[in-house]
Amino acid sequence: MTTPSYNPDIKLNTWQGAIALLPKITIGLALLAFIGYFIIYVIYAVELFKFPFDYDQGEGFELMDTVFFSRGEWPYRDNDAYPFYSSNYPPLFHVVIVPLVWLFGPHYWTGRLVSFIGTLITAAAIGYAVSGRGLKVHHGHRAWLAVLCGLTFLASNYVYHVGPLFRQHMFMVMFETLAVILLAVTIDREEADGRRYNKSLLGVMILLLAAGYTKQLAYATVVAVFIFLFLRNPKRAILWAIPFAAVTGLIFLGINVATNGEWMLNTVTANLNPFVPGQAEGLFRQWFNLHTLIIVVAAIYSIYQLYATRLSIYAIWFVVATVNSVTAGKWGAGESYFATAIAAACILTGLAFNHLLHLAKIRNWQSPRRAVWLGTVLVPGFVGLLFLWQASRLIHMPTHTPTLAAIANVLGLPTGVMIAPQTSCSAARPPEAIPYFDAVGATLLGRPPNAADKSAGQQIAALIAQGDTAAFSEDAGFNLYLGRDVITNPTQLLNLYNNNAVDLTQMLTMLDEQAFDTVVLRAQFYPGPVLDMIGQRYETTDLVQMNGFVYCIMRPR
Amino acid sequence: MVTKRQLGFIFIFLGVGAALGMFSIDFLGAGQFQGIGPAQRQGLIVSAIAILLGLTLLPLGDRPA
Repeated sequence: MTTPSYNPDIKLNTWQGAIALLPKITIGLALLAFIGYFIIYVIYAVELFKFPFDYDQGEGFELMDTVFFSRGEWPYRDNDAYPFYSSNYPPLFHVVIVPLVWLFGPHYWTGRLVSFIGTLITAAAIGYAVSGRGLKVHHGHRAWLAVLCGLTFLASNYVYHVGPLFRQHMFMVMFETLAVILLAVTIDREEADGRRYNKSLLGVMILLLAAGYTKQLAYATVVAVFIFLFLRNPKRAILWAIPFAAVTGLIFLGINVATNGEWMLNTVTANLNPFVPGQAEGLFRQWFNLHTLIIVVAAIYSIYQLYATRLSIYAIWFVVATVNSVTAGKWGAGESYFATAIAAACILTGLAFNHLLHLAKIRNWQSPRRAVWLGTVLVPGFVGLLFLWQASRLIHMPTHTPTLAAIANVLGLPTGVMIAPQTSCSAARPPEAIPYFDAVGATLLGRPPNAADKSAGQQIAALIAQGDTAAFSEDAGFNLYLGRDVITNPTQLLNLYNNNAVDLTQMLTMLDEQAFDTVVLRAQFYPGPVLDMIGQRYETTDLVQMNGFVYCIMRPR
Repeated sequence: MVTKRQLGFIFIFLGVGAALGMFSIDFLGAGQFQGIGPAQRQGLIVSAIAILLGLTLLPLGDRPA
């Protein structure tokens, strides 16, 4: 007897035929929504590539790190001596960008482009994982689902905000994602073939090493990978963990010796920041509200695997990455710390829906007509609707062009928000209309920089150029624009100061002697004694607004 | 290969260990609060969840985790 599952030969009348279009309509609309987000992402990225100053405060320092590597020098330096600069990040992202700096010079677009490409690779990898390609055991290949999951990653407000910035975080997520997917494929093949693919597993370890030497936060993915290996084969997990730890430690020691201990001080000690519980809680709530569908589906599918089947690497990765996201509550951390959990959630959601659609198709529905309705119309249609709902929770949209503003109007979205410029050193300013809307709420990330921002940056650079020295500046971009020394990495100094690991004597002496013609403040991240000395020896002469921040230009009193 | 029962024992072991660790903070005099502090309370809740999770896995026997 044949099973009454899906039968494409069943004839439908007119209205039944119309309803049968439901999955095509909902899936089509969901694809349209996420392709729309992707276009917005590209618009934002291109505008950032054209902007020659800091958009996010840390970008210039990552560019400076790359400049040091391009000269064959380490960026892990003595903060006690002029120019009081050091990096607190591992080297890989910056080393990858070095050839672009050699070819085109120290421009922000180099790192922004590399980070942006990294997010595209991550999205493609997510799609590959969801498609089930490369796996011996899968639940069918659904290209539309793979595309939706990859695009969902790029549509995340957090990925959108940070993806095209000169920041190493998303490059780390790329390596993490590639490592986890390669591990899933490797173990699947091993279990299907009964053979060991150690070269492939070596590739996983190399990708993990690359992730860790892009940013320290990748340790969570390393933990997830070894938990998974332990569950599958404890002895093998230990045998791989020992050389992995040895190589990681040797590289660490090698860099530490080469930098006279500055590597350890600046990448470990300087990252021991205070934990702000309210910040962590607020970000967790926001993360859940924005990504509700993929988080809920990923969590349910993880529980399903725990009790009903076997835990996959993706489930373990999702749980470990989510737990590790609590570190977003550290001072200086933020929303990007959820990106790894988002990538894992996208893959799990895709696999869960693929499983569900497969079950709906092969299940014995008692009658052929019910098999058509439930298996090929209602379940896929509902999945499409869920993705549409997820899209509606991620709303973010610049409205700086007439076309985008018109689209926002048609969709019933605001064409902007009122946000007061951020200032730490001037009188408060009234809110201004920002041509950007984001479900996150009031945010200065995500709005494409415009001609006025570029002009403001050039104005600040021109003010610095009136003096002879490099500026003592919280943003690196102005000195880089003028080809002058980058002085200080303020958050790094503050972290070290809070850990009693920096001697400010020389810096305070130079400020006291007014050795810098210009001081530029944006958020007053410097340690208290530095700000005190600046206040005593310098006075504000100009206020320039760029990217929604008021920059205070100060000259000797 | 680790079984679901073994994974359950691992969760219980970790949960009990973490709970003991929370209380040992008081014995060592490192806590900032009288009695159970807010971080300890949260830690104990997580420990309890881990133990419960472990207990639910025990009946699943020798199926692969």
